Parts: sequence; structure tokens; C-alpha cells
Amino acid sequence: MCKPLQVKVFRFNPESDVAPKFDDFEVPVFDNMAVLDVVIHIQNYLDRSLSFRFSCRIGMCGSCAMYVNGRARLACRTQVSSLKTRDITIMPLPNFPIIRDLVVDMEPFFDKWKKIKPYYVPKRELDEPVTVQPNSNEREFIDDMLDCISCGCCYSACSMVATNKDYLGPAALNRAYTLIADKRDAIRVERLKVVDRSYGVWRCHTQFNCAEVCPKNIVPTRSIQNLKRRCVLKKFGIFK
Amino acid sequence: MEVLKADILILGAGGAGLFAALHAYDRNPRLKVVVATKGLIGKGGCSRMVQGGLNVVLNEKDSLENHFQDTLKGGGFINNQELAWTLVSDAPKAVHELEVKVGCFFDRGEDGKIHQKPFAGQSFDRTVHVADLTGIQLISRMTDQIYARNIQVLEETRGLDLLSSKDGHRIVGALLSDIRTGEIFVVNAKVTIVATGGCASMYKISAPSFDKTGDGMAICFRAGAEFVDMEMVQFHPTGLVAGRSRLNGSLLEEGLRGSGARLYNGLGERFMERYDPVRLERSTRDRVARSSFMEIMAGRGTENNAVYLDASHLGAEFVEQKFPGMVERVKDIGKDLAREKVEVTPTAHYQMGGVRIDTHCQSNLKGLLVCGEDAGGVHGANRLGGNGICDSTVYGRRAGDVAAALASEEDIHPYQETEAERMRMGWLRPFLRESGENVYEIRDEIEDLMWEKAGLLRTGNKLTEAAERLDYFLEKIDSANVAHRYLAHYNMEWNNIIDVTNLITVCRMVVNSARCREESRGAHYREDFPETDNEKWLINIYQTKGEGFHLNLTQKPVALNRFRRDDIEDRFFEKVKKK
Repeated sequence: MCKPLQVKVFRFNPESDVAPKFDDFEVPVFDNMAVLDVVIHIQNYLDRSLSFRFSCRIGMCGSCAMYVNGRARLACRTQVSSLKTRDITIMPLPNFPIIRDLVVDMEPFFDKWKKIKPYYVPKRELDEPVTVQPNSNEREFIDDMLDCISCGCCYSACSMVATNKDYLGPAALNRAYTLIADKRDAIRVERLKVVDRSYGVWRCHTQFNCAEVCPKNIVPTRSIQNLKRRCVLKKFGIFK
Repeated sequence: MEVLKADILILGAGGAGLFAALHAYDRNPRLKVVVATKGLIGKGGCSRMVQGGLNVVLNEKDSLENHFQDTLKGGGFINNQELAWTLVSDAPKAVHELEVKVGCFFDRGEDGKIHQKPFAGQSFDRTVHVADLTGIQLISRMTDQIYARNIQVLEETRGLDLLSSKDGHRIVGALLSDIRTGEIFVVNAKVTIVATGGCASMYKISAPSFDKTGDGMAICFRAGAEFVDMEMVQFHPTGLVAGRSRLNGSLLEEGLRGSGARLYNGLGERFMERYDPVRLERSTRDRVARSSFMEIMAGRGTENNAVYLDASHLGAEFVEQKFPGMVERVKDIGKDLAREKVEVTPTAHYQMGGVRIDTHCQSNLKGLLVCGEDAGGVHGANRLGGNGICDSTVYGRRAGDVAAALASEEDIHPYQETEAERMRMGWLRPFLRESGENVYEIRDEIEDLMWEKAGLLRTGNKLTEAAERLDYFLEKIDSANVAHRYLAHYNMEWNNIIDVTNLITVCRMVVNSARCREESRGAHYREDFPETDNEKWLINIYQTKGEGFHLNLTQKPVALNRFRRDDIEDRFFEKVKKK
């Protein structure tokens, strides 16, 4: 039998606590155990007052991002064995207000998401699905970038977000890219104007913090660099 | 209690709820549409978890009739034929709208047109998809469209019960609770749409997200809605085996079997040869799941009570390219889907039964529309892979349109304050007790009970036993308490008590209906009645709430108005009872 995990969990109730604290738990290990299994075990059987957020448990909804052993990760996609230690420290995602314990308020993230007009606006003349050869360059790397599950890992890891509260952040800019590069969309230029600001693409210092933590292996930096290029081209009067 | 007034209240924000909101608003932007979702917007429920894709007739070599017939054959011919026909005939409109208006981009084939991949139980390759994780794009694009409109979204807010008008004749909104604050409040609405999804999490091994706990169905049941064919719970044949991890039971998508992946038992036999020699692994979900289960029960499973899914012969490159999401998931448990066989088990997946509706999503209760998995009748005794998100989008659109039309001409009716107050006090009881039952113990017992007594292989005796136990558990959960009585905000335990109460409510309908149907059809298999009995059981079973613990049950013959009795051949069934 493996030795149990020693788990430190961040606890904070903004309504009643003066300061946050850590609680220690001993959690038995089993095969294929993910960090999500760890917090569920604690909540169900050790301390029923613990709060965290999760839904799909297979990395598709992006609800259970947490800061585990110093890094933003999806609890459901982080196998305990991959941490290579029995000591686990679980905290809420940095750069977000805390609702309680490990549950953060995603509102600042989605407020910025909404700023880039994340919704597709079809060109008026398009009334049928477009024909696109799969090997044409038409979709560039839009489709890969559309795999974003808006979990907030990138946003919490980005040092530019941490120091600039207005910076739109990697996820919103990545979403903007997927629409600006989509030739079916009618308001690409308008959207480009939103991101072509100091708190937009130009705040990215290409440190790749976002790409390092993305559980979907997306590289928002790439989308952002691509947007920068388009911003420059637009200034030259060329917009692809 | 705080009261919010709205024209349309929508409970649930999966494919059905979101599409309903978009359609209602676009029909009449002056309407106040409120969407309440248990999770974060676009993140809860199962539409987001759709892997395989959506069935739709797009190719001129295919036809609506074919899709319709596949749906009925798959459903053991007890589908509501009008609902099934509406499903297939509206599906092209839904997909068109998703691409052209919502902004989805489905994978393209060599000809540059939308690609359609093979799924099981279908006479034509008609499943549109975005690789093998289709739901992410569908739901995030729909959610983003919500942001473009003046639709009020209440996140982490769950419906508790429906409210009725003073004369008791119509539904006028709901009692809800804000999970973050623990506050209970009222939304008084002209029209209420329930679209919170199914209840498969009642089983020990299940595929859906864990926030789907039959809430919508239980809410409708308590309000007096009529249900149809609740015994029909689908088990998906290829759930990942991951021991005690929550990954256990999560799906390996049907496209794998569609593309030719094979199933082997622990002895290395390709057992589908014995159960469905023609279609083999591409047989419908009910048969493949049951066959696997029978192998396991007969002691021919693996040491982990599973069978093997093998896609390695398709070529590692093909599997990695076509099923990247599945490959990655399997990697989490240290296996390589592209190069080796992987253990799988049947996993509870989908509720075919649900609230009885007509093609306008209208339930038997005025003011209450139901769509998506909460509604029943579309899929009969077994749902085809790819018809699930098809249902959510098709009926979500319809519910939105109907709700907008009703709300535009209807006045708001006041709710009964005493009723609301009584309900509120009822839900708060777990906070008032110093000691009581532990919800997690009850939940664990329910999951085992349902799996063993009301799962893939049922008998009258097992079901009777389950029914008695469930009545006992319903009483027991009523005296559950929360460990921290002064902690209302984001109290997961309290929410779990509500979840389990709802689950037990729905479990009772499943078991009661399963006990009634003394034959085997689709997902419902009775070891004591192993044959399909088309003489006696081309019947739908209806249920409503009776006095106390009583369930009123009625049977009505299926309306065979499009596909007739004479068209139904014995060869469509595994084993047919002869006269």
C-alpha cells in the first residue's frame, strides 16, 4: 500500500475570515488518481465544508482550474503521480478574486473576454456553410485555437495580467484571433481595433507563461503575435 | 424573498437551454429572458462534453426518411414518431444555423464540404463533428452569442422547484437558489423552460458531468408533469476503466467503433460475433453495452471487470489524427489508445425517457416547456449516437420560438407566496438540524443499488427490492443535515443534498417503470422476460406524482402513424416473443 498524500488546502471565507489559512489532510492514494479525486475525497469524507468548482471531470469544461504545487492546472487532468511528490499544496487560481476556498470569481476574466466581442457576426452575403478545402490555408490555425475551454489557467499564470489590471489577457486575445482570422466574420476590423491598444496585444511580452500552463496545449502567444502582425499591416493599409 | 420578474425563465444552459435563449431573444428582443445555470455559463452539463458529433441529413444520397427509420429502429419503435420526425427534419436547420449564424466551423471533407463520419446504428455516414471533441466549439460559440444579446444570465444558480399560479392551473416561474450566497429567491415568469439535462449519475459507473443530477426532471415531477418511458436509460458501451478515479466511466467516443475499433473479452474473443454477427461492434449502443456486460457477468471479462477496446489495427497515425482527444484522455491513465487495447466498461449515459412533450415542447402543465434530455419520447428505447446533441439543438430552438410566441401574448400571473415559502423552508431544513444523515453515504448506496438492481440486466425481483430501498432512501435523505450549519455560501454539501434528493426522485420513476415493462426492448433488458413482445408491448408507460410516495402509472399504445405496425419486422430485434 502506498503512503498517503499529505495535502495542504487553502481555506478562506471572505465573509467571515480575517485571513486565509491552510488545512492539512491525509488522503489515501489509488490508481489513476487525479487532483480532482483528492479534493472530492476531502470534501466528501474529511471536511464537508470545503468548496471547489468542477463539472465534466474530463478536461472539456474548464471549471476546475486550481493552483497545484505552484502551477495553474486543471484538477481533473492532473494525475497525482505526475506531481512526483506526496506533498500537495492546492490553492485557488492567482489573479482572481476568491469566492470561497478554491472557488474563484471568473468575472474579471469574462469581462475582458466580452470586450473583444467574442461572438461571430456573419457576413451578410454568407447564407450557406462555406466550402473550404482541408489542406488549404484558409483556416490557418484557427481550429486549434478554438479548442480553448476558458479555464483561466493562462490568465492566472500571465505576469502581465498580474501587473496590469486592464490587460485583456491571453485567452481573450486568443479568442479575438480566432474571429479576426475567420474570413466569414463581418466585424474583423472593428475587433482588431479593440485589441490594437496598449492594454491589448501590445501588452504581451512574449514570455509564454500562458502556453506553459495551457491544459489544451494552445499557444496563445502565437495568436497574439499573429494579431500584432495584422495590426501593423492594418497601419500600412493592408488587412488580410 | 427577493422576486425577479421575467418573460421567459430558462433553467439550464447546455445546448438546449442556450439555443432556447438565443431563439427566444431573436424572436422578440423586447422580451426579458433569464437563463439560470447550475455551473458557469457554457461549462455545465453534457452538451459541452459531446465528443462524437451531431446526426444530420446533408448529403443528397441520404434522406430524412433514412434518418427517421434509423432513429426508430434504434429506438425499438416506441419513439413518439412525431417527435422523431421533427428531430430529423429540423436537424439540417439547426446545423445550418450553427454554422452560418452561430459561427461554428465543422470539420470539412476532401471536397471542402462539411464532413460526416460513420456512427453506429446508421445506414449512412451522417455525423458532423469537430474532431473528437465537438461540444467544446458548439457550446463556446453559443455562449459567446449570448454575450451579444441582452439576456440575463444567473450563473451558479439552480432551480429548486416550479411555482404555480394562484388558481393552480399554470406554471409561473421557479424557486431558485444562488449557490454562491445560498440565498433562495423567486423568478416569476410567463413561460418557464426546463432544460437541465439527465440523470445518469444515479449509477455507480456513469459518463455525464457530475452536476447533472436529474434536477429538471425532479422539479417537473414535483410540479405534476407527466413522464414517459422512464425505464429507458442508455448505457454507453465504451466507458474508460480508471478504478476509483472520477475518470472512471468517462466516454471513449463512438466514432472509434464507427471507424472499425473492435471489442474483445478477457479470453481474447471478439464476442460481438456471437451477439450481432452482422453489425458487430457497429451495432447499436444498447446491444453492444449489454453484450459486454453479459461477457463480464459470465466471467469472461478482464480482471477489472471490463472488456477490451482495440483500435490499434486502424493504424497509430490514423487514431492519433482522428481521435486526438481520446488518445490524450487515455494517456492520463498511462495507456496508448493508438497502439494498444484499452479496458472499457458499459457506463450509464443518457435518459431516453423524460417529461412528455409535443413537438412544441409543451408539457402537460401550462406555461412549462421542456427540451433536451429532460424531455422524453424522441429516442424511444435507445438513442443513436449523434442524436443527443441533435435533440438538444433542435428542441432548444423550438422551445425558444414557442416561448417567445407565448410570452408575447401572455400576461404575467402571480405565484402563490405561501407555496414558495413552504418550499423554501423545506430546502433549508438541512441547516436546521444539529445531526442527521450523511448525504455522501446515501449517494454511494444509491449508485450501487441502481447499478446492481436497475442497471443493464434487470429482473422483477431486483426491481421490487430497488423500489423498496429507494422509498427508504427518500425518507432518509429528508433528514440529512449539513455539517456546517452557519455556512450557506458555496456550500457543496447542501447542494449535494438537493442533488441526491432529486436523483432519488428520478430513480423511483426509472425503477417503477422498469418493473412495469415485462419484456426486453432497447436499453431495457429483463432477464425474466428476455424477449421483445411486439404484440403486447408496443406501449408507452406514463407516470405522474400521486399522493405521498405513490406514482400514478398508465400505459398507452404507441401511435404508429408514420412507420406502421406492418413495417416493423422481427429482424430489427435481438429476440422476439413468438405468439
